[in-house]
Amino acid sequence: MTAVVIHDPTLRDGQHAVRHQLGTDALRGYAAAADAAGVPVVEVGHGNGLGASSVQVGRAAVPDDLMLSTVREALRHSRMGVFLLPGWGTSDDLRRALRQGADVVRIGVHCTEGSLAERHLGFLAEQGAEAHCVLMMSHMASPAELAENAARAVGYGARAVGIMDSAGHFLPDDVSERIGAIRAAVDVPVIFHGHDNLGMAVANSVAAARAGAGIIDGCARGFGAGAGNTQLEVLVPVLERTGFTTGIDLYALLDAAEFAERALMPAPPVTGSLSIVSGLAGVFSGFRHQVLEQARRAGVDPRDVFFELGRRQAIAGQEDMIGDVVAELSARGPAA
Amino acid sequence: MIVTDDSAVHTVPGISVAVIGTGSIGQDLVSKIRRSPVLDCTLVAGRDPESAGLRRAAGLGCPTSADGIGAVLAAPRPFDVVFDATNARAHAEHRRLLRSFDTLLIDLTPSKIGQMVVPTVTGVHAPPEGDVSLISCGGQASVPVAHALADRFDVRYLEVVSTVASSVAGRATRLNLDEYVATTQQALTAFTGVGGTKAILNISPAVPPATFRTTVHAVAPGADAGTVRAVVDEAAARVREFAPGYRVRTCDVRGELVVVTLEVTADSEVLPAYAGNLDIIDAAAVLVAEQHAVRLAPAARRGVSR
Repeated sequence: MTAVVIHDPTLRDGQHAVRHQLGTDALRGYAAAADAAGVPVVEVGHGNGLGASSVQVGRAAVPDDLMLSTVREALRHSRMGVFLLPGWGTSDDLRRALRQGADVVRIGVHCTEGSLAERHLGFLAEQGAEAHCVLMMSHMASPAELAENAARAVGYGARAVGIMDSAGHFLPDDVSERIGAIRAAVDVPVIFHGHDNLGMAVANSVAAARAGAGIIDGCARGFGAGAGNTQLEVLVPVLERTGFTTGIDLYALLDAAEFAERALMPAPPVTGSLSIVSGLAGVFSGFRHQVLEQARRAGVDPRDVFFELGRRQAIAGQEDMIGDVVAELSARGPAA
Repeated sequence: MIVTDDSAVHTVPGISVAVIGTGSIGQDLVSKIRRSPVLDCTLVAGRDPESAGLRRAAGLGCPTSADGIGAVLAAPRPFDVVFDATNARAHAEHRRLLRSFDTLLIDLTPSKIGQMVVPTVTGVHAPPEGDVSLISCGGQASVPVAHALADRFDVRYLEVVSTVASSVAGRATRLNLDEYVATTQQALTAFTGVGGTKAILNISPAVPPATFRTTVHAVAPGADAGTVRAVVDEAAARVREFAPGYRVRTCDVRGELVVVTLEVTADSEVLPAYAGNLDIIDAAAVLVAEQHAVRLAPAARRGVSR
């Protein structure tokens, strides 16, 4: 049996589904439930990570410091994870998070821009923190480019490196090929983080584990933008049946998922029509709320907005492009 | 007008300028300096003798050195102006080394040292002592509009999101994202009086490369779309006097939120059109140097040594 480490960003990536409005009771309750299930890492924060509360993506209900201290107090065995996008948060945010007891710090960069992580991975290495690097929107780069950027991140000090299928675009064979390429290029654990736009998140995660990924992400009830992330309480037993060990208690995990459904979300994510479109278009699902709102206001088809954003290669963080696309589609008038 | 006396610019003798840094910013600066009637590019200093920037400068006939700041310090007489296009950490050291020289140091790194200049807001006069900071590309693009909005409306919060193309984000830019954020936020507060500010930078790998853009989000209760558009258009027209590729792409009011997207294309012999981020900061820097040349001119005409 091969062990995989489950990394749970329910309280970070899930925030995209509720416009970063999770309150302290929800944070505390879920963290305690995940801890009781033996989930190794519980990640918390604004959806775009430390320091990212903003008009551009949404302002958080709870400030970073309070989110971290709330979750820290609720965790007895699980380690606390945080996430940072360079250009959104800064080293000051990292310093504060480490003081708050963050154990695992992930630096996220667009998949072709590994060098953007140099400064912050170096800082974390100096601090002796466990730093990971995740390459986002990884469907936008070839396996060789991903391997090259992953190797670069390890050179900067990342102790684990991997890919996020931020748009939920991959199919299992895509994942196997990419994880294999990264595995061949680095000697640290490889991460896979899936999204379920095309209903493939669990299958993609199993493919990742089989290709040698050592860290797999999942969220309770798939809590995440649009179609959501890999559903954690499905992922864990499926991995176990496939021959991997997670060290997680199934009943307690199922209880944590029920708590999440009750306390974190209005309803569990479904693979709605627009999520399928964003997956096909290769656009970050987190754009969903703003696309819907602005498309409705301007009377354009949100599906056209997603496909046009995909054509323009919008990356995570470029929510300000939605306004341009909506304005231009609106000026163009209804499609023939 | 930004340059106070245009006729003066054409009658003063050229002053000596040096450029440290041979990345895209440095190369564009050299080209803009060569277009100026009052600036003589008398040194381009880098660290790598094989760099494309140094070779290009030498090809244009500029004296070059791979000795970096050392070449500036070793010059027989001080330069009138030194442009620093290196990185924030190196700039702090360059400033210390040049402190005793009678040289105007114009900083294009986000070091947050020096008096901040945004041409349409502060004018382009250098302070009598000390050096000049050009803040950041996002600062140059956003502050004119943010300042105009804050002047006219009750702005409670400002957020500036910029996107630059990956191919013109060099290593110094990538290593200086923290400084970019801090310096841009500080400039926004300094020039608008708005306490809550946030700066964000995205690096886009899109192919073909994305044109530099900056979106200004302002929480401004009571702002009406018509007045906002007029205020923004007027501010943009003033910036176009020195950065002709500056334009308002969208201007929208959603409830209390004003959202203005600005786009800058480069007006440069060396930069691709999408590299407006470098063009606007270099154009502003050259204006400061030209104004300094006008100020130095009477002394130069009298032949008084400086």
